[in-house]
Amino acid sequence: MNSFKPWQVLHLDLSEEVPELFVNSDYQGLYLVVFWANIPLGHLELEMAQLPMPASQLTNLILQTIAPAIGCHLLKTGFQGELPIVSSHPAPAVSPDLADVLALEKPLRLLRSQTETLPTDSSVSVIVCTRDRPDALKECLRSLQSLNPPPLEILVVDNAPRSDATYQIVSQMPNIRYVKEPRAGLSAARNRGIRESHGSILAFTDDDVVVHPQWAARLQQAFYEADVLAVTGLVLPTQLETESQVVFEKGFGGFGQGYRTKMFDSSFFQTMKPRGVPVWKIGAGANMAFRRSVFEQVGEFDERLGAGRSGCSEDSELWYRILAEGGCCRYEPKAAVFHTHRADQASLKQQMYQYMRGHVAALLIQFERYQHWGNLRRLGVALPRYYLRRTLSRILKRNQPPAEVLMAEIRGCFAGVKFYLQNRQRKLESLNYGVDISRDSIQSNSSEKLLPIRNKLNS
Amino acid sequence: MPYPIHEIEVTHPLPTLTLSEGDTGVALIVRRQDQPIGFLMQPSTNCQIEPDTIAQWIAEKLSAKLLQEAIRDEWVAPMNARFPSLTVAICTKDRPDNVARCLNSLLQLQSPDAFEIVVIDNAPSDDRTQTLVADLPTVRYVQEPKPGLNFARNRALKEANTELLAFLDDDVVVDRQWLKGLMTAWAENPDAAACTGLVLPYELETDAQILFERRGGFGRGFEKIRYGQVLPSNPLYPCGAGIFGAGCNMTFRRDVLLKLGGFDDALDTGAPLPGGGDLDMFYRIIRSGNAFVYEPQYLVYHQHRQEYEKLRRQYWTWGLGFMAFVTKSYQSDRAQRSQFRRLVQWWFKDQGKQLLKSLMGRHSLPSEMILAELWGGIVGLLGEYGRSQQRIEQIRRQYS
Repeated sequence: MNSFKPWQVLHLDLSEEVPELFVNSDYQGLYLVVFWANIPLGHLELEMAQLPMPASQLTNLILQTIAPAIGCHLLKTGFQGELPIVSSHPAPAVSPDLADVLALEKPLRLLRSQTETLPTDSSVSVIVCTRDRPDALKECLRSLQSLNPPPLEILVVDNAPRSDATYQIVSQMPNIRYVKEPRAGLSAARNRGIRESHGSILAFTDDDVVVHPQWAARLQQAFYEADVLAVTGLVLPTQLETESQVVFEKGFGGFGQGYRTKMFDSSFFQTMKPRGVPVWKIGAGANMAFRRSVFEQVGEFDERLGAGRSGCSEDSELWYRILAEGGCCRYEPKAAVFHTHRADQASLKQQMYQYMRGHVAALLIQFERYQHWGNLRRLGVALPRYYLRRTLSRILKRNQPPAEVLMAEIRGCFAGVKFYLQNRQRKLESLNYGVDISRDSIQSNSSEKLLPIRNKLNS
Repeated sequence: MPYPIHEIEVTHPLPTLTLSEGDTGVALIVRRQDQPIGFLMQPSTNCQIEPDTIAQWIAEKLSAKLLQEAIRDEWVAPMNARFPSLTVAICTKDRPDNVARCLNSLLQLQSPDAFEIVVIDNAPSDDRTQTLVADLPTVRYVQEPKPGLNFARNRALKEANTELLAFLDDDVVVDRQWLKGLMTAWAENPDAAACTGLVLPYELETDAQILFERRGGFGRGFEKIRYGQVLPSNPLYPCGAGIFGAGCNMTFRRDVLLKLGGFDDALDTGAPLPGGGDLDMFYRIIRSGNAFVYEPQYLVYHQHRQEYEKLRRQYWTWGLGFMAFVTKSYQSDRAQRSQFRRLVQWWFKDQGKQLLKSLMGRHSLPSEMILAELWGGIVGLLGEYGRSQQRIEQIRRQYS
C-alpha cells in the first residue's frame, strides 16, 4: 500500500507575524522557507505529527535555523558555507572575531541595508533555453518580467522546436527576444544565447523555473569581487506534491546547496584535484551566471554535454575550466529561483539516468582537456564504491529510494562512458565556438589579465 | 585536578582568569545580558588565561548562539503572559546542609507573591531538617513517613494547591534566572503540561565530577525544545524518555499530574530502586497527548557525585531505573510494545559498543562504569519492578 502524502511548501517573511501552525491531514508535512528582505535564510521541515505548534515555538525554531545564514552574510569569517572538501588534513575551522559578533546589535536591519546598498551597475542578459514546453515557459517568462530592477534584456532560445508554440507565446509577451537555434542540445542553445546577447553578465535559467523578483540583482551583486567569474544561486522546490518530487528533494538533496555563501577558488580546486573536483556541487544550471569575458577565456559550453546530448553537466564542466584556469565561482544563495521537480516516477528515473550519463561523460571530457587524473579516479574508484554501497543498503534496508531509480543511475554511468567514446572526435569542433564572440558590450575587467587563455586544444 | 567554574558576561570586558596550582582546566558559564547561553569546559594548565583566549573560546563555540539572541532581541517582542501560581517542592532525606543551600538560592527569588516553597522531609532519622525550616517563615515543612522519593513527590502533590508544581532535588542550587526561565517557558507554551530545565555542574572538584560532566552530565543544551507526539530524527521516541531532561529540575501542571494519578510509588523508591520515576512521568505525560517543554534558562546547578564509588553506583542506578521504567511501560502501554523491544535491543547494543570502546581505551568512561550501568539494566529487566511493587505494598500496609 502506498501511504505517500505530499509536503506543503510555504514561504514566511520575517516582517509578517509568525503564525500558529495547525494540522492539515492532506499533507505529510510542511516545507517552510524563511525570508527576510527578500533573502532566503533557511527552511524548516515539519511533520504534521509535530503540529499543532504555537507561534512561539515556531519562532524559536526559525531563530535556530536562520542565525548561521545571517552570520554568513554579515561577517567575513566563521559562518561561511562548508565547501565539499574531503581531505585527510582538513583546514581548521575559522571562527569569527567575538567583538565582531557582539557588535551586531540589529542584524536584520543591517542585512537589509547592506543588501540594498550593494551596487547593481553591470548589465545583465537573462537567457532561457527551452524546448517544446510552452506552458512552463510562460510561467517562467512572467516571473522574469517581474524582475526588479529589470534586466538589460530577456532572451528565449528555442531549441530545435517541433512546433511554433513557443514562438507564439514569446511574441505575445513584450520585451522578450526570441531566437531559434535549430541544432538540438542545451549547450548549443546556450552558446547561441551567449552570441545573441549584449550584457556584461549572462544569467541562465531553465523553462521549468520561476525566479524571485530580486534574482538578477542579487546575482549581479555577487560579482562585486573581480576574481568571481561565475555565480550560482539557490534552487528551491516550487512544490513537493508527488512522490518523485519529494524523493528528488529530500532523498537526493534536490538542487539546494544551503543558505550560506560559498567561495569555490583555486585552493579548493587544488585540494580536491587528486580525488576529482566535485564541481557539480557548485550549483545548478537552472540558476547560474557568468561574466561575458569567461567565454573568451575558457571557451563556451561544450556542445557534447547537456540535455539533448550527454544529458547534463555542461554547466559544471564550464565551472571546472574556470577553476582550473585560476578563476573563482561563487555560490550566492541570496539569488533564489524556484524549480518544479519532475512530477512522475518515470521522469525521475529518466532524469537520474541522464544525470549520471552526463556526469560520467563530463568526467572524461575534463580528463581529456587537462589530464587531471582525479577525474578518472572518481570514475574508476569512487563511483563504483558508492553504487556498491547503495546497492547493498538497498538490499539490506528497504527505505532507500526506489530500486528502478538506482538501476537507472548505474545504467547512466555506463552510458556516459559509451557516449564519450562515440563523441571523442568532436572536441575540436565544439571548442572552436569560443573564438568568435567579440562584442562591443564586453566590459573589460581585471580578471581578464588574471587568466591566461589556454588554447592548447584550439591550436 | 579541579576545574574552577567561572561566570563570564560577554557584554562586559572579559576578565583574566587565574588558575590555582593543581587545576587542570577551567569551566565557563557564559551569559549574555545575564541570560545563560553556553557552558564551556576547557582543559588548560596555564596559570593565567588571558581575555583574548577566552574571547576565542567563546567565538568558536557560541557565535551562532550570540547572533541568534541578537536576532531575537531585534525581531521577537517580549511576551507578557500571566504566570500561573507555583509551588516549589524540595524532597529530601537526612541532608539538611543540602536543603539549606538549595533554599538559600531559592529564597533570593521569592518575592511575597512569586511562589510557595514546601520541604517534604522523607522518613527522616532526626529533626535537623525540621529545625532548619522552622527558622524560615516563608517555607512550609511537611513530613512524609513512607520512605521513597515518589511517596514524597506524591505528598507534595497532595499538599500543593497551585496551578504549577515544581520539584527540586536537595542537591541542586537554582540559577538567579531560574524563575524567569520557567516563566518564559510558560509564556511561550501556555498549553504545556511539563517543563524540564538545564542542569549544569555545581562544582567540578573531583575526577568523578569532571568525568561525569565530560560525558555530557545532565546537560541538554542551550536551545529551547518543545516535545510533541513525534521526534522525526528519533525512531525510538518517546520511549527513550531520558531525552526529556532530569528529575532534579522539573515542573508540572498540577491538574495533569492528578489526572495521571501522580507518580508511580514503585519507581524512585530510594535505596532499592533509586530511579525511573521521572522518566515514567515524562513518558506518561507525552503519551497522554500533552506538550512538554525544555527551557535552558530554567537552570539549576547540580552537585555531581564526588566519589568514584558513588558515581559508579549512579550509573548502576541509571541502568536499573531505566529498565524498571521500560518493564513497567511494556506492561502498561501495549501499543508501544514493539517500540520498547527495539529500545531494549538498541540499549544493549549501544552499551556493548561503549564497553568495547572503553576496553580499547577509546572512551572517556572507564569500563567499570559502563559495566555498572549494564548490570543495573540487566537487574532492572529481571523483575526489579515487580519486586519493587511488592516492597511498596508492604510499606503502604505498614503505614496505613
